Amino acid sequence: MRLPIIGYVLSDVIVSWIITLIIGGFLLWWLTAKRKWPLILDYIGTTDNRKIGTMYILFAILFFIRGGMDAMFIRTQLAVPDNDFWVFQADKYNEVFTTHGTVMIFFVAMPLLIGLMNIAVPLQLGANDLAFPYLNAISFWLFVSGAFIFNMAFFFNAAPNAGWTAYAPLSNDTFTSGPNNNYYIFGLQISGLGTIFTAINMIVTIARLRAPGMKLSRMPLFPWATLVTSSLILVAFPVLTVALLLLMFDRFYGTSFFGGEFGSPVYWQHLFWIFGHPEVYILVLPAFGIFSDIISTFSRKRIYGYTSMVISITLIGLLGFMVWAHHMFTVGLGALANSVFAITTMLIAVPTGIKVFNWLFTMRKGVVRMTTPMLFALGFIPTFVIGGVTGVMLAVAAADYQYHDSYFVVAHFHYTMIGGTILGAFAGIYYWYPKMTGKMLNEKLGKWHFWLFIIGFHLTFLPQHFAGLNGMPRRVFTYTWEDGVFLFNFVSTIGAYLMGISMLFVLWNLFKTHRSGTSSVDGDPWDGRTLEWTTDSPAPEHPFPNVPVVDRLDAYWYAKVNQTNLPQTKDVRPDPISIRTFQPILLAGVLMVMSIGFIYHWMWLQILGGGSVLAFFLIRSWTDERNEAYRKGEKS
Amino acid sequence: MKQMSDVLFLDKRFGFFLYLVVEAIMFATLFATYIIFTPAERGAHPSEVFEWKTVALTSIFLLSSSGTLLMAEKGLKNWSRKWIWVGLVTTFLLGAIFMGLEIHEFYKYAHEGYTLSMNNFLGAFYVLVGLHASHVAFGLGWMINLMIQFTKDMPRALFIEKHKIFNYYWHFVDVVWVLIVTIVYLPYLF
Amino acid sequence: MKKTGWILTLFLLSGCSLRVLDPASPYADKITRLIYLSFGIMMLVFVVVMILFVHFLKKFHETSDRVDEIPVDESGNRKLEITWTVLPVLLLVILAVPTVTTTYQLTSGASQGEGGQDKERVIIHVKAEQFRWEFTYEGGEVSYDKLVLPLDKEVELRLTSEDVIHSFWAPNLAGKIDVFPDKETRLVFTANKLGDFQGKCAEFCGSHHALMRFETTVMEASAYETWLQDQ
Ligand code: HEM
Ligand SMILES: [Cu+2]
Ligand SMILES: [Cu+2]
Repeated sequence: MRLPIIGYVLSDVIVSWIITLIIGGFLLWWLTAKRKWPLILDYIGTTDNRKIGTMYILFAILFFIRGGMDAMFIRTQLAVPDNDFWVFQADKYNEVFTTHGTVMIFFVAMPLLIGLMNIAVPLQLGANDLAFPYLNAISFWLFVSGAFIFNMAFFFNAAPNAGWTAYAPLSNDTFTSGPNNNYYIFGLQISGLGTIFTAINMIVTIARLRAPGMKLSRMPLFPWATLVTSSLILVAFPVLTVALLLLMFDRFYGTSFFGGEFGSPVYWQHLFWIFGHPEVYILVLPAFGIFSDIISTFSRKRIYGYTSMVISITLIGLLGFMVWAHHMFTVGLGALANSVFAITTMLIAVPTGIKVFNWLFTMRKGVVRMTTPMLFALGFIPTFVIGGVTGVMLAVAAADYQYHDSYFVVAHFHYTMIGGTILGAFAGIYYWYPKMTGKMLNEKLGKWHFWLFIIGFHLTFLPQHFAGLNGMPRRVFTYTWEDGVFLFNFVSTIGAYLMGISMLFVLWNLFKTHRSGTSSVDGDPWDGRTLEWTTDSPAPEHPFPNVPVVDRLDAYWYAKVNQTNLPQTKDVRPDPISIRTFQPILLAGVLMVMSIGFIYHWMWLQILGGGSVLAFFLIRSWTDERNEAYRKGEKS
Repeated sequence: MKQMSDVLFLDKRFGFFLYLVVEAIMFATLFATYIIFTPAERGAHPSEVFEWKTVALTSIFLLSSSGTLLMAEKGLKNWSRKWIWVGLVTTFLLGAIFMGLEIHEFYKYAHEGYTLSMNNFLGAFYVLVGLHASHVAFGLGWMINLMIQFTKDMPRALFIEKHKIFNYYWHFVDVVWVLIVTIVYLPYLF
Repeated sequence: MKKTGWILTLFLLSGCSLRVLDPASPYADKITRLIYLSFGIMMLVFVVVMILFVHFLKKFHETSDRVDEIPVDESGNRKLEITWTVLPVLLLVILAVPTVTTTYQLTSGASQGEGGQDKERVIIHVKAEQFRWEFTYEGGEVSYDKLVLPLDKEVELRLTSEDVIHSFWAPNLAGKIDVFPDKETRLVFTANKLGDFQGKCAEFCGSHHALMRFETTVMEASAYETWLQDQ
């Protein structure tokens, strides 16, 4: 069918346009009818960490729906051999798994975690905001901008199609011409910039805004994980930025770094994985931090082996940079390189194992309360251990010659990424929901969500190990009866639907919690241990008028146990300045315009967009909120 | 309570240093790219492209601009408007001359047929040195902005803050240039 | 958990026929052994974790009489922590030694290839292109999407690509080796079972990556010669 401007498209695009327009129209009507616009404007113009964190999570859920639908299409197409489900074969299928992977990693997992960091980290530190509230808003809107650019592609019938790893030379314009993979480049480039800024913000916040007395050795583990993750981002993301820049030159300006006559396809793989492997630790370490806090809270015990927990995350972070070539065992780097990278990879299992045992021993002799967040944390332990042990199996370089790029790998990384990151994000959302909104999510529905999700999960991904061992490569849109992987795939598809259904319970839960005017909870509904539970729920914009003074780990808990109050002080450093501003969202829009100029090679739009972006530096410089604040300071 | 501008300045300085780490890693990756692909098997060899005269000239101008910026820094310390002006203006002029030479260099190479698609040595060269040049160009714009802000009524603490952040940037860009000279040009000049 | 355990055993029963675990060459056999070894060690770890997990949950979950209980404070235990640092290291050493030796055995043949020295070796040139495999035998015979190998003879594949990266994978016979447009890679193995074996491209290479398959047939050496002559 032909669409105006876009040209010839298949029916999935048309259906998506129609559905999007209907839902969009309905949303507009609903927002207007319910007079929600002032609220929306308030959020758009905010620099408050809690509101920004909430928006991160909302958008992540939106994209989770997108990526989840992609997953359902993938699983439906693969349900039976020689299948022809709707349009999802060949190029369409390739577009679907590329979007699925990219969206899940960059626009679901990352923002879920960054959202939770925004909400919880300052509160856990006793800080009133992040160090740079304005920059935080910029980060968020850059993420939105990048995510929209990437997700737009599909609607213009140009979804990226070279896999989330975009291996050259397939990703070069010789083999995938057209705008498709340009969307990939610009989507990641712009959201990546936002991520880098967030990392800077987190590090400065953790380094300089901790409550009096909170030495690093008294800091909860979620901020610790955030600190390590942010440092990884600081080193890993710039490499991706440069890799994408070079790929862009290859595609746009005729260089041939990664393909063509002189290029080196393996060089792309090196750059990509020097970023990519740390990236998977960037995704999982914050989840470790969340689980640590949750397991300790709901065992009513301090975390077991705090010091070794901190050392472990740091070690994992460091080792994370020395293992990238385990993704490249089959490219023929030679036995020496493969052996070295096999061993460094195996080494990571040691600090990870330490963490698992410390979690287990935190529960020992404790009082383990089965709340929804705790259920997710408990579900995480066996699931992640399976993902971890298959990880060690993959590290066996020679054996990886068989596993590599097969469904075994697909199973492995979903065990780690869903078992770690996604379960962690769910746990964190249930746990900190009172801090975000002042309400508790319904526990019963939460438990339904957990059980359906975890059962569906194992049904989906456990069989995939065997499909891989029976010779099913990843990224294939079909297989035959003779391949002998039908049963594995069929079970996997059923599991996937179960996971899909479990997500309906989340929506129902959200709906129920907010519709019925569920009464608000007090500041400390879980009987928590860390400073966020000393503030009101939801956390106000200025949560700590007086800052608590901390003299040990979990100081709030011990104060409660001893039936005293935490001492407080007013004598602290000045707070970061929060403001209301619409510059960030405008910048996001302008960047999007510029990106489209590049994606479609429209020079005039590039210049227009690029010029406007530069203008934003000037606007920012001249509307600096410090002007006002320092002026007051000078007078007093 | 501590002086607000002091504390917030320290926050910002730390944040900006972290940002410079990010930049440093980007440049490091580009240096690696350059080293890997240079000299290329086919197409131009660096020794036939580079000229020591251009390198020397550009280096003199850019490096001395870091020196002249010290005058402005001194002016910031004792709050001497004169020194700040002298420092900023000379730095700007030197930087602008560098920019001119750089553009001329690129133009000349392209004219001689050494375009970025000729081989990967040239590709890596243009991306790396071009990224540096765009940093210089951005810095020039930044300086103009600073100069205008200097003429306006702005809290002194804020101007000092903005100026200092710029100084870190400019010195950083200079250090990158030193690395470019030693890694990109020098091995192929003599 | 029970359910998953049940499914697991069911899958394991069918495990013996999974292609990767059903080797038809000493090369693939070595990998199979490694897989079993690593799986065994890892199951050990998993089982230990699960036992502790279930035990602690059973023993320490909140019951109605413990609602207000405040557990005794404990911060850790040096000895235990050393235990679960050292033991995994030992297990990993047990795994790392065969990993490195096998990697050396399989890889040196694969990528450097002492090509030419060994007269006995059958050399076959493999050309991959979107989306088909071309096999050129020593006498210049060519076959498409069908690779024929002599039984019990060492073969050396020399692989190059015409366009993007592909990956040669015949799970019963050998591990993968990627196929590049800018360099030649090699794979050396000896088929020791007769029969037809599936082969697939294992590196995503574009629209019809899923259809880029080949059939590998292992024949008696004499049959192999006749087959070649018919080409
Ligand atoms: C909601 C349930 C999910 C299901 C049913 C699912 C299913 C799948 C399947 C079947 C593939 C393989 C596609 C192929 O190779 O042809 C895949 C790929 C992938 N998935 Fe998922 N997935 C889910 C959630 C996630 C999540 C939460 C993440 C990350 C946080 C994720 C990350 C990825 C990545 C990175 C790939 C690789 C894409 C590529 O090959 O380029 N998935 N998924
Ligand atoms: Cu990795
Ligand atoms: Cu392929």
